[in-house]
Amino acid sequence: MLSFSVRTAMIKALPLFLLSEIDRQGKCMQALKALLSYMKPYWLFAILGPFFMFVEVAMDLIQPTLMQHIIDDGIASNNTGYTVKMGLFMVGAAIIGLAGGLGCSVYSTRAAVHFATDMRKDVFQRIELFSSRNIDAFGTGKLITIVTNDISSLQRAVMMTLKIFVRGPLLFVGSIIIVFFTARELFPILAAVVPVLILVIILFTKKSGALFKKVQEAIDKVNTRLQENLAGMRVVKAFGRQAFEKQKFANANNELTKVNISAEQLIALLMPILLFLVNMGIIAALWMGVIKVDNGSIQVGVILAFINYLNIILNGLMSSSNVLMQITRAFPSAERVQEVLAMELDIEEPSDPYDPRKIAGDVEFRHVSYSYSKNGEYVLKDISFQVKNGQTLGIIGSTGSGKSTLAKLIPRLYDVDKGNVLIDGKNIKTYKLQTLRETIGVVSQKGILFSGSIEENLHYGKENAALEDLKQAAENACAREFIEKLDEGYNHLLTQGATNLSGGQKQRLSLARAFIRKPSILILDDSTSAVDAVSESAIQKALKQEYAESTKIIVSSKISSIKEADQIIVLEDGEVAGKGTHQELLATNKIYQETFVTQGGVLGEYAKR
Amino acid sequence: MSMQKGSTAQTEKSIRFGNGPGRMSGPIVKPKDRKGTIKRIWRYMKKQKAAMSFAIVLVLISTVLGLLGPLLIGVIIDHYIMPKDISGTIGMAGLLAIVYLAVSLFTWLQTFIMVNVSLKTIQMLRQDLFDHFQALSLKFFDKRTYGELMSRVTNDIENLNSALSQSVIQIFSSVLTVAGVMIAMLMLNWMLALVTLLVIPLMFFATNKIITYSSSNFIKRQRDLGDMNGTVEESISGIEVITLFGKEKEVYNKFSDANERLRNSAMMADISSGFLGPVNNFINNLGLGIVIAAGALMAISGMTTIGVLASFVTYSRQFYRPINQMSNLINTFQSAIAGAERVFEIMDEIPDLKDSEQAIESSSFKGEVSFTDVSFGYGGQKRILKNISFEVKAGQTIALVGPTGSGKTTIINLLSRFYDVDSGEIYIDGRNIKEYKIQSLRSKIGIVLQDTYLFSGTIMENIRFGRLEATDEEVIHAAKLASAHGFIKHLPAHYETRIESGGTNLSQGQKQLIAIARAILADSDILILDEATSSIDTRTEIEIQKGINTLTKGKTSFIIAHRLKTIENADMILVIREGEIVEKGSHEELLAVQGFYYDMYKLQFEN
Ligand SMILES: Nc1ncnc2c1ncn2[C@@H]1O[C@H](COP(=O)(O)OP(=O)(O)OP(=O)(O)O)[C@@H](O)[C@H]1O
Ligand SMILES: Nc1ncnc2c1ncn2[C@@H]1O[C@H](COP(=O)(O)OP(=O)(O)OP(=O)(O)O)[C@@H](O)[C@H]1O
Ligand SMILES: [Mg+2]
Ligand SMILES: [Mg+2]
Repeated sequence: MLSFSVRTAMIKALPLFLLSEIDRQGKCMQALKALLSYMKPYWLFAILGPFFMFVEVAMDLIQPTLMQHIIDDGIASNNTGYTVKMGLFMVGAAIIGLAGGLGCSVYSTRAAVHFATDMRKDVFQRIELFSSRNIDAFGTGKLITIVTNDISSLQRAVMMTLKIFVRGPLLFVGSIIIVFFTARELFPILAAVVPVLILVIILFTKKSGALFKKVQEAIDKVNTRLQENLAGMRVVKAFGRQAFEKQKFANANNELTKVNISAEQLIALLMPILLFLVNMGIIAALWMGVIKVDNGSIQVGVILAFINYLNIILNGLMSSSNVLMQITRAFPSAERVQEVLAMELDIEEPSDPYDPRKIAGDVEFRHVSYSYSKNGEYVLKDISFQVKNGQTLGIIGSTGSGKSTLAKLIPRLYDVDKGNVLIDGKNIKTYKLQTLRETIGVVSQKGILFSGSIEENLHYGKENAALEDLKQAAENACAREFIEKLDEGYNHLLTQGATNLSGGQKQRLSLARAFIRKPSILILDDSTSAVDAVSESAIQKALKQEYAESTKIIVSSKISSIKEADQIIVLEDGEVAGKGTHQELLATNKIYQETFVTQGGVLGEYAKR
Repeated sequence: MSMQKGSTAQTEKSIRFGNGPGRMSGPIVKPKDRKGTIKRIWRYMKKQKAAMSFAIVLVLISTVLGLLGPLLIGVIIDHYIMPKDISGTIGMAGLLAIVYLAVSLFTWLQTFIMVNVSLKTIQMLRQDLFDHFQALSLKFFDKRTYGELMSRVTNDIENLNSALSQSVIQIFSSVLTVAGVMIAMLMLNWMLALVTLLVIPLMFFATNKIITYSSSNFIKRQRDLGDMNGTVEESISGIEVITLFGKEKEVYNKFSDANERLRNSAMMADISSGFLGPVNNFINNLGLGIVIAAGALMAISGMTTIGVLASFVTYSRQFYRPINQMSNLINTFQSAIAGAERVFEIMDEIPDLKDSEQAIESSSFKGEVSFTDVSFGYGGQKRILKNISFEVKAGQTIALVGPTGSGKTTIINLLSRFYDVDSGEIYIDGRNIKEYKIQSLRSKIGIVLQDTYLFSGTIMENIRFGRLEATDEEVIHAAKLASAHGFIKHLPAHYETRIESGGTNLSQGQKQLIAIARAILADSDILILDEATSSIDTRTEIEIQKGINTLTKGKTSFIIAHRLKTIENADMILVIREGEIVEKGSHEELLAVQGFYYDMYKLQFEN
């Protein structure tokens, strides 16, 4: 009776251990569970992997028995026929075992790689849907690490689980059952040792979970240092700060090594402890054994068998606890991946999107306010204006006054906090996102280009544009001349960040990229700041002639770029400080007047006209 | 299918990779120099020879003790339990317990040491790679994406880690066990012992085959991983543009291509390397079969006993296991070597800009700068700068103007030795700039680059980047001169406000203001402003001008600007057009000439 209750306790122990894990790392587990749905399409592989492994283990376990039969029944009794038969069985078993092993490798790998690759696809796709605010929340560096490193470590964990992890518990539970039936006299030893073993493993798993989280954070830091160093390489070189950067990296590197060492040492400690505990079981078996043998309740063979099974248990535990550590290692990764997948998109397609065939391009802001921090500090405050289709709106204002923020609200990179933005009289939140963004051509302040040819970059604006159109757009952006002077022309390859172009060339390419869409609304955010005067006046001419029907919103700090606009807004500290045409503002607005003077304008002369 | 030949193609045919696209990317990649790579890894580990030797001694002891355990159990059973000697058994069990304790202790110690050794090795390698990045010139980085380079520092080095921490212990304990078991077997029955050895060549052969195949796959996997990381890094960094242009699908497709390539190569690499275990296991079983068959024959002819045969079966299992482990280890090493090769590939890049041996440290520059007949191209046929010659006296302010792409930034790049001239010479204070140590040259030149970059950290830290030992007061003073103080004091935590990588949470103009403050703080002998105020409104610009004027009094400064108003007061204006100086002189002189400058000026200020 007693042993029965012990046994049920034993059997309960394993799930219990898992349950406590669920409790403790509820979040991790939830994350893991959510991610496991990526295994669904490959459930067959995920089952076949361990199944084949099971076949291999089974064949391995049969081998000794077959061998024993050959020796005991075949050779000893000189029965050649039997020996040959058993020998063939053995070869057969070996072949089946081989098939099992190969199958396990094939299917576990497939399951794991497919799992991770599909997940990476989804995570990437999800990130693409992120609004700029979502991105700000994570930081690009972390997002990059998640897509690259975290998913890889999940893949490793899954593969380990399918290949090795199943094997351990199998051997473990199998041995316990066999001991229970064949060496019940010594079973109390197991009943004492096994819970301790499990306890130790739980303890270590807990601790290592926390440690691996730290490792992950340390890896993040190393990656950030690295990424920034590469991106800011020119600045580092310009200030001769290599030694400083090396030191900063060394700090991150040290930290990583330190936490890594403590994590790995924890694992290194687990093995000897398990080893010792199991070996204590052997000692106990010898001790109890000699007493029981003495009073004749067991045979010596039982002790031997028991020791053998203890060794099997040890092997099973060692390999699976090793893998368990790897799996805990993946917990923080799972959590981070899940964080991306579960991140609430703050800009989403409306449920019943408005998808007009043509958008004329009237833009209106009605009492718009926006805050990055969401703590009441508004970057834009109560902005209202209206631009009619085909008109030009100029926005001028001091650094940090909110011009770019305003521009970003129109294509819904960020969503307004208060008020409404309307296009053709309809709230932009009701538009189909794709349609909305397709009608808007934005040249952002920071001309971001991608590695690849110039042509590829221009095709970004319009995928199926003919080369003629590309050339026309380039012409309008005053880029054609320099492109055609390049050896490779439109096939000229740009590096990442287009570092092999001059600042002005980059800007003109991003202009051309937006021009090619022939958008209804064209937003130029300070996009001629690095363009020379000659090119700029050409661009302005093109804007007037070629994009007459487009609504043009031009942000600039140069009065020359906006003075012909139908309407100019002077933005100061997020508020509209003046509105009107060039002339009107010159006459009435102090900020505008000052700006005009600083740019070489002479007020008196103007007043005369 | 691309052109694969020979053994690799055969191996591949024999493995079914299922229905997927099954496309192999590129030709089979061979490890370039496996031995050389291992040697170089060893060179890193060697630095911790003492610790490793100690670990090896511990391995020896614990292996021997490990073999002692079963022996003691046998003795206890035969000599104490069988004769029912209870107190003797307990005494011997105590001894065994001590042995076990020692085994555990030594096992722990040896892993403890090796974990340290391998992680420290990895740390050194990572640092060296990073340090090497710092030495490489911009030409090198022009060719590569960040993500791909990052992949080398993270994934490739990480691969090495897992191999290193196990390798030394396993190699030694395996060799030791194999030797011990071999001796025991030879003593028992030398003929059967030789039979046991029969399958060893087969194992070598199989291991070799699988490893050659999987290692080429590992290399491919690491490469694809690098590509995928590159794509991801660039896409996520440029996500705003992707969103704006609705290019999610195209970018996704591009990523997907890389991802699918990785799917294939990762699968191939892991599947093929996973074959090693089962194949070796199979060969072991075969070996056992042969031993039993031979043993049976010998037993029948009386050359051996069944008892001996039984021990042989146990022994051969013990014999094969470490050999399997070794072959597994080699397999792990393949993946590590594939990574290490990519690491060393970068380390082997020779920095093309290096201090010459007689390079001198300069304490300060007076600021005389001259270009004589300088020509330069970024590679390729095209010359960007053609015979540039000019002379600057100490303390002058020089403006470079001209159309975009005419070569203004390039002149600056040459002056600060980001690139070296193709022909001609650049002198500072009468000395060729190649005669100065690069580091000392650059630290005497303060630059605000056309592309500002800010690092994650506080505003204070970012400005202090200009002069690391500057006090808070000096930082704030520099910020005031750069007119950055005004906006900083309105930020939530003022100078302690955190900036994101690249300064994404600041406006473009604010970034420039901080970059200017950073350069002002550097307080260098020559100041270069390359479009430093392009995104700054003109009212603020005037303020900055005042700050800069007081700062650059008596110092040579170069100013590049398109807003010609910015540079009117320069002592000399160089008008650059298509890589040549077309006009040279002061504002008034140039206007009087009514040439190119005059046209530009008129265009900007007409009305
Ligand atoms: N790293 C590079 N690799 C190859 N070509 C480059 C590289 N940097 C610049 N170029 C090319 O050299 C030429 C001159 O560029 P540079 O940056 O000097 O122009 P710039 O006069 O500063 O122009 P801007 O006013 O637009 O900044 C351009 O045609 C550009 O495409
Ligand atoms: N992603 C962001 N997170 C938090 N704050 C931001 C972010 N982007 C901008 N800001 C802050 O919002 C304010 C307005 O920035 P915005 O980029 O709109 O200015 P701007 O008028 O375009 O200036 P500039 O002329 O310098 O480009 C600034 O104070 C800036 O620091
Ligand atoms: Mg802006
Ligand atoms: Mg430039």
